[in-house]
Amino acid sequence: MECSALLDHHVGTGVCGCCGALRPRYKRLVDNIFPEDPEDGLVKANMEKLTFYALSAPEKLDRIGAYLSERLSRDVARHRYGYVCIAMEALDQLLMACHCQSINLFVESFLKMVRKLLEADKPSLQILGTNSFVKFANIEEDTPSYHRSYDFFVSRFSEMCRSNFEDPDIRTKIRMAGIKGLQGVVRKTVNDELQANIWDPQHMDKIVPSLLFNLQQGEGTDSRSPSPLQSSEKEKESPAELTERCFRELLGRAAYGNIKNAVKPVLMHLDNHSLWEGKSFAVRCFKIIMYSIQSQHSHLVIQQLLGHLDANSKNSAIVRAGIVEVLSEAAVIAASGSVGPTVLEVFNTLLRQLRLSIDYELTGSYDSCLTTGSKIIKEHEERQFQEAIIKTIGSFANTLPVYQRSEVMLFIIGKIPVPGIHPTLSSANSGFEGSRMIQVMLLKSLLQVTSGFQTTNMLTALPSSFLDPLLSVTLMEDAEIRLLVLEILVSLIDRHDNRPKFSSISIISDISFLKLKVEKCSRQDNLFMKKHSQQLYRHIFLSCKEENSSHPHFEILYTLLALISMELANEEVVVDLIRLALALQDLAIANEESLPIYNRCAIHALSAAYLNLISQLTAVPAFCQHIHEVIETRKKEAPYMLPEDVFIEKPRVPKSLDRLEGSMLFLQSKISEVLGGSGYNADRLTTPYIPQFTDEDRLSKRKSIGETISLQVEVESRNSPEKEEKTPAEEITFETLKKAIIDSVGMEEQERERRRQVVEKFQKAPFEEIAAHCGERATLLQKKLNQIFEITIRPPPSPSGTITAGYGQTQSRSVPVYEMKFPDLCVY
Amino acid sequence: MSMEDYDYLFKIVLIGNAGVGKTCLVRRFTQGLFPPGQGATIGVDFMIKTVEIKGEKVKLQIWDTAGQERFRSITQSYYRSANALILTYDITCEESFRCLPEWLREIEQYASNKVVTVLVGNKIDLAEKREVSRQKAEEFAETQSMHYLETSAKESDNVEKLFLDLACELISEAKQNMLLNNVASPLPGEGKTISYLNCCSFN
Repeated sequence: MECSALLDHHVGTGVCGCCGALRPRYKRLVDNIFPEDPEDGLVKANMEKLTFYALSAPEKLDRIGAYLSERLSRDVARHRYGYVCIAMEALDQLLMACHCQSINLFVESFLKMVRKLLEADKPSLQILGTNSFVKFANIEEDTPSYHRSYDFFVSRFSEMCRSNFEDPDIRTKIRMAGIKGLQGVVRKTVNDELQANIWDPQHMDKIVPSLLFNLQQGEGTDSRSPSPLQSSEKEKESPAELTERCFRELLGRAAYGNIKNAVKPVLMHLDNHSLWEGKSFAVRCFKIIMYSIQSQHSHLVIQQLLGHLDANSKNSAIVRAGIVEVLSEAAVIAASGSVGPTVLEVFNTLLRQLRLSIDYELTGSYDSCLTTGSKIIKEHEERQFQEAIIKTIGSFANTLPVYQRSEVMLFIIGKIPVPGIHPTLSSANSGFEGSRMIQVMLLKSLLQVTSGFQTTNMLTALPSSFLDPLLSVTLMEDAEIRLLVLEILVSLIDRHDNRPKFSSISIISDISFLKLKVEKCSRQDNLFMKKHSQQLYRHIFLSCKEENSSHPHFEILYTLLALISMELANEEVVVDLIRLALALQDLAIANEESLPIYNRCAIHALSAAYLNLISQLTAVPAFCQHIHEVIETRKKEAPYMLPEDVFIEKPRVPKSLDRLEGSMLFLQSKISEVLGGSGYNADRLTTPYIPQFTDEDRLSKRKSIGETISLQVEVESRNSPEKEEKTPAEEITFETLKKAIIDSVGMEEQERERRRQVVEKFQKAPFEEIAAHCGERATLLQKKLNQIFEITIRPPPSPSGTITAGYGQTQSRSVPVYEMKFPDLCVY
Repeated sequence: MSMEDYDYLFKIVLIGNAGVGKTCLVRRFTQGLFPPGQGATIGVDFMIKTVEIKGEKVKLQIWDTAGQERFRSITQSYYRSANALILTYDITCEESFRCLPEWLREIEQYASNKVVTVLVGNKIDLAEKREVSRQKAEEFAETQSMHYLETSAKESDNVEKLFLDLACELISEAKQNMLLNNVASPLPGEGKTISYLNCCSFN
């Protein structure tokens, strides 16, 4: 400092001496480039001389720079703007001409001059300075420099981006210059580790909001008509476009550690200007971000958004919905990279927000303590927020590979409060309505996750730990929940996009028109059906029995049946499904549940539509013939038993269904006969289907086999856990059962032990032997069982004394459910 | 003639509620005019004024910030490098006075701890509408150990004094710093010494 001052002083006296010939050569060369009249512009020939001198004597560069800069300062102060421009031009040319190594000496005085221009209050000088700076920024230096500080430039350019100049034209120019300047600073500093870290919050907090401000301004002007003034300008680019380019460049250069500092100001800006509400700008910003950053970093942005969502959990629903909307858009863009290493964390956050929102909606305030001055919760806004979350869960799930998706499905189902399987998770104050809402919302989320889910291996994708709670009886009572569960099943099973072809229930006269895509059922699929088919059948059967089922339920049941037959059917399954359809017909005829007439008609229609489909799928002509005949008869005499008349807006339903003729019904004997003729194992059809209440695999996968042989019936109440019941079938009478129900608790342990022994024994025995053994007794068993079911399926007077207080809640609303262990091999 | 046309460079940032007259103060000082119907500042504004105090040239880099809440995040980023803050309120607006503690919290949080803060009550030309008494403001300034000054950008009362006094104080502080450190580090972070360059480049 002192050194340079001395030198300058010395030089200063030289100037005062006015003795041109004694002046140093570089000074003369510099002086010569300025013309007499600034209008004439740079004296080109002399400029060449100066350049040549600078190149041949690079050690003089710093002095040339210093002298030029001194002249420029003087000219600025004296308002001789013509000379200012010339000095800048000369500097630019020198910069361009010099070799990289020598630039360093020169840069400091150059930057001083730019600063000088930027400090001037003339817009033209500011722009001139910026342009020079941009040219400088585009020069790649190979030697790092230690002593440059861009603080002022960052501050000043950011400020220029928000220029308030009265004249809109000049204002635009200044703003453009500011943006370009920022771009220059970024270019200059981003790769130079020695320089002020441009990614520090202190810089980012200036740069990013200034860019966003212009981006946002652009939105406003775009919607207005583009002013003729602007379009006639030489610059084809609007500030907004330029900003976007600059912003993209900035983000594209961000390394792993810098993403956070770059994104945080964006979040702040959107917060401060309440831009989440409008969504579109926020979405646009994050689209730019997601498309610009290096893809391996995209999950960082997602994480930050999630964090921001959490931080805003007490903010209004519109803001939260805006953030979630942005999340969902961003997830789509980031695709596979969006979730990053913490898959479940992402879903956990979303589900937590969903839950919070439900709590808000129910309690009507954000905080039970009312510390933050209770804001009024708008229910419909919370609803919209919930929908947005569910949609977002869907878009995240779509980016996941299959194995992670099933993990997420398990995770979500684990959060659903299912009494008896999962402890009720709902908070104490939300109660029944709360847990119902949570069930609905989580099932909707699950539906989002499952849509488009195509697994080749159903067995691993859908383990019992997933299916059990999903098919649990408590999720069946509520009509809406039941429908959701069925939807989920359908979207899980549909792997060839056949679903739209069965979306409405009808009698299809020729299924070849549907152009169904069918693949042969794989080994895993077979195993899956072996393991879970009974659960699925039971679910379908019981769903039909629910009184509050309506048109959409039957439609989706039809879809489900159809898709099972398309996707998972082997011969055995086909027979089972036919048996199920017949059982449904019987259910409608017998009417033990005293279902409304409409439901009975609907069940008839369902089984008709399905049998029509399956008959054509099996392509057994005689089977088709029979089905066709029955349908024709119904068309003439009982159209109310066909979907075309039931599943319409005003179903034509008769007053009673008592007088049904045989020709209107599908006959089991006939079907057995025709199927048996075509090589199907139709024997099973002779045993009517009865739903089995399996408490799936609590002890052993093959427990049911064991029980088949010993001909047991197990009665269990889910709601009074661990209360299990079984007696050898031969001994079952009304009396024994009644007795067993009353004093079952003590026997429980003993019974379980016995069962385990039986299971072990039969696990070791060859299957044929077991099957042969039980086949003979099947008919006898069936008769007895029918009697028993009549007794047991109805709710007994007292469920038992073992209901604990914790279950009281669920007990009060649900009829105790009896789960019966009924062997699936009994039909052999 | 030195290459630098100043001996000291100080950054001064004006803060305070929207509409208290920050921009008018700056305009009055730097340009000598009072812009009627001045619009709201967007983000920040920038002005330069060089003054001479006791023969030393002092360049004041003045950052005029927007008072509106929504620009808070960008204005905060300008506090950090400031040498002095002018905290402004409107004597005819009780609300702008009541917000002062909030502003002080912001200063605490974002500005450097060496920053010099001056409290300014603007618009004394509207004395008949005064809502905040001089005494009250002085007491408040006392408790926060700030200087207090009342100004009128419109009548140009005390505006020069405000900036010049501030410049004086900054100079004396800078000199003290120089003595303490003994290392000739010029206060403005921009013109660093050659010796610094030399010693670093061999590291």
